[in-house]
Amino acid sequence: MPPTSDGARPLGLSGRACIYVLEARGQFLTVARTPGFTIPTLVFPLMFYVFFGVVMGFSPAAPTFLLATYGVFGLIGPSLFGFGVGLATERDSGALLLKQTTPMPVGAYLLSRVVTALLFGMVIVVGLFLLGAYAAEVRLYRWQWFALAGVVLSSVIPFCSLGLAIGAWVRAQSAVAIVNLVYLPMAFLSGLWIPISLLPSFFRDVAVVFPAYHQSQLALKVVALDEGGSAGVHVLMVGIFTVVFLAVAVAGFRRVGSR
Amino acid sequence: MTGSERTVARSVTYLAVMLAVFVGVLMALPEPVPPPGAADAALPEVSFAIVGVKVFDGKAFRPEQDVWIEDGRIRRVGEELDLPEDLPRVDGSGRTLTPGLIDGHVHTWGSTLNDAVRFGVTTVLDQFMDPELAASKRPAREDLARTDEADLYSAGMLATAAGGHGTQYSQFVPVQALDRPDQAPAWVRARKAEGSDWIKIVYEDGSAYGLRFASLERDTVGALVAAAHDEGLRAVVHVSTLQHALDAMALGADGLVHVWGDELVDPAQAVRMGEAGVFVVPTLSVSVSMAGDAMDRELLSDAGEAPVSSMQRQTLASRFAGGDAEKASGAGDRAMENARRLHAAGVRLLAGTDAPNPGTASGLSMHGELRLLRRAGLSSAEALAAATSIPAEIFGLDDRGRIDEGRIADLVFVDGDLEQDLSRSTRIVAIWKDGYRVERSIEEEQAPAASPAPEATMISDFEDGVGAAFGAGWQAASDRMQGGSSTASLTARQGALRVEGEVVASGSGFPWSGAIYFPGEQPMQPVDFSDREALRFRTRGDGRTYTVMLFVADSAAAIPAAVPFTATPDWIEVEIPLARFPTATPGIVGGLAFVALAPPAGAYAFEIDDVEIR
Repeated sequence: MPPTSDGARPLGLSGRACIYVLEARGQFLTVARTPGFTIPTLVFPLMFYVFFGVVMGFSPAAPTFLLATYGVFGLIGPSLFGFGVGLATERDSGALLLKQTTPMPVGAYLLSRVVTALLFGMVIVVGLFLLGAYAAEVRLYRWQWFALAGVVLSSVIPFCSLGLAIGAWVRAQSAVAIVNLVYLPMAFLSGLWIPISLLPSFFRDVAVVFPAYHQSQLALKVVALDEGGSAGVHVLMVGIFTVVFLAVAVAGFRRVGSR
Repeated sequence: MTGSERTVARSVTYLAVMLAVFVGVLMALPEPVPPPGAADAALPEVSFAIVGVKVFDGKAFRPEQDVWIEDGRIRRVGEELDLPEDLPRVDGSGRTLTPGLIDGHVHTWGSTLNDAVRFGVTTVLDQFMDPELAASKRPAREDLARTDEADLYSAGMLATAAGGHGTQYSQFVPVQALDRPDQAPAWVRARKAEGSDWIKIVYEDGSAYGLRFASLERDTVGALVAAAHDEGLRAVVHVSTLQHALDAMALGADGLVHVWGDELVDPAQAVRMGEAGVFVVPTLSVSVSMAGDAMDRELLSDAGEAPVSSMQRQTLASRFAGGDAEKASGAGDRAMENARRLHAAGVRLLAGTDAPNPGTASGLSMHGELRLLRRAGLSSAEALAAATSIPAEIFGLDDRGRIDEGRIADLVFVDGDLEQDLSRSTRIVAIWKDGYRVERSIEEEQAPAASPAPEATMISDFEDGVGAAFGAGWQAASDRMQGGSSTASLTARQGALRVEGEVVASGSGFPWSGAIYFPGEQPMQPVDFSDREALRFRTRGDGRTYTVMLFVADSAAAIPAAVPFTATPDWIEVEIPLARFPTATPGIVGGLAFVALAPPAGAYAFEIDDVEIR
């Protein structure tokens, strides 16, 4: 904010709201102007969907199935990278310290990254849904389109938490590597690229330890192509993962703070 | 307004616009086409025309055709026909019209004939059923009256060895076994007298599944083929191995009603089969089901709003029990590859599902079989021909199987272009049988009157012998009921029920042995446990895996629903939710069997105690 006379007053409600919006705007523009981030996160899910959902199509249900799983996959990217890499980089470069000296509430910092992930997620959802509907003839009832979009976008909750946990612990130089190490194997092992039912049964047993598996099963439930587990259990598992990730993140910040 | 406030206002506006665009896109995304019925209820029947439709005539696709139906038969087909002014018309643009489908391998009981026609299968070629039932259904194929069932052609009873494959159903379908070549002529004459449309021969020793079945000898198969030909009947053979397929061809069989998955046919052999004129009904639907890849979820999902009967749901949810799982998994791929090689060598393939075997459903599985034939390398037109004109030619059904002048108006009207995408075949707009609209909704048969469950949840604690708190009680049971030679005995010892015996794999197609409990006053009389959660019991034993089978006295439940459990050396408690048994009406129980299945064959022993439905 420009140094005007109102800089000395305590922040009012509208001033606080301004900070939230401005920080979110800043974060979104920063990320949007980083082609190294935007291109892979936006293009990969859409490209995979075109390959496996539209062109190849292992079964007539494939376009619908992959719409759900690539949607979740698409949300993992912006969520994990925004927090995991962004946070580590800003901390190591000192930008985080600088921000901490401003009156900006920490909530604005966190929310700006969640909102950025959501906005990218909306672009991916729109892209995937349009491809699914018009290139692969996916037909869903209106409630299903909305519910699927909602479940896919809700992926920001566990994956931003996971990103936060990673960002709190790792250094900037290793953040990209670590995030990729979590991101790609988890996506595969959770059945986001290839349905888990097509993989050897060993993979089914492994998949349950990944939040992405439970998140994708929730998305697949909307289109009745899930493995048949209870939605309540999947929600509970996603919730547990989120709490654990947040706890790990808090522990990471404490460690950094005391150093 | 300060600069930053303007920025905030602009950002919020952008955000609102993005949200509006997002919601707008979601609102505009396409929804499923409304199910046929409401909008199409007014579709005409008996005498009408479908205009501007893409026709699959039995051999090839032809765009922009008019099809004129008069009094249940096809009067003319062509481009821009000169139709009577007052003839009701149906717009066929964007849609495909095919002949009614002919399923080349089914078994008929329960609701199968209605299930078939509701999914566009207007004619079935049955490969083994009750001869009396067949005799009662055959007349309907001769006239053009309104019907809610597919037309039936059937082999009736099948030819098999005593205790061989097919005899496992002998409590439902009578089988007169034979074991010597000299019995063949009389056996075939008896079938002809019963009305069999052709002769079905089982040549199956179980080796493909790691089992051993009693089987007809090669010379008996040969004698049956010759006797059938003497009587002017075709002879088709059930095989599951390459060797038996080659034998059957050498013996002069007209067709094989399965493809085999034990070994790959080499191209020269395939060419010889093509030259011999042998046809093959690969029944890939059961091959994939045996391999653990049943198409149930895909088909139920693609059935969309079309009503699926309780029998269809149940048979789709069922799975093959017994058999060697490792052998089965590769067998599915080999069966597919064999179908591909046979087709490439010019062998005529017929679409047949073997429904309602486990993992398939009458009618619905025909659409799965078409997809599997596509996967085996047939084009959309070739796969549809295998389901229409080819079976009609081979079985001499000159009045059907094509959209051509004079043929019966058995028609399937599908949304979309099947030439481009055969998997759309489930998107049925309408089915006409003999020119009449087929009613796709179901009046579900009433579940058999089940008596209410007694108050008590504990069935037996075996403290005072092999008794039960209610019902007809416990019995030893085995495949002897179906001509097998497995044994079983029950004893109450130290407050538990000891079940022991021997599973003999050679005697029967489906070897089993164990204990059965009937909760009703009479054996198999159903009792309604739908307000209960689970079957619970304690067990210990020799460490092998046993199976709980739930029988329902419903005709549709000829294949019992099965859930496995393991009897460990130490007592353990087993709890099986009743919902895990894939029956049409969960909670209805006619009988509960605790059995050993083969493989492995041999002696077994386990104990059960504190059996409870709670």
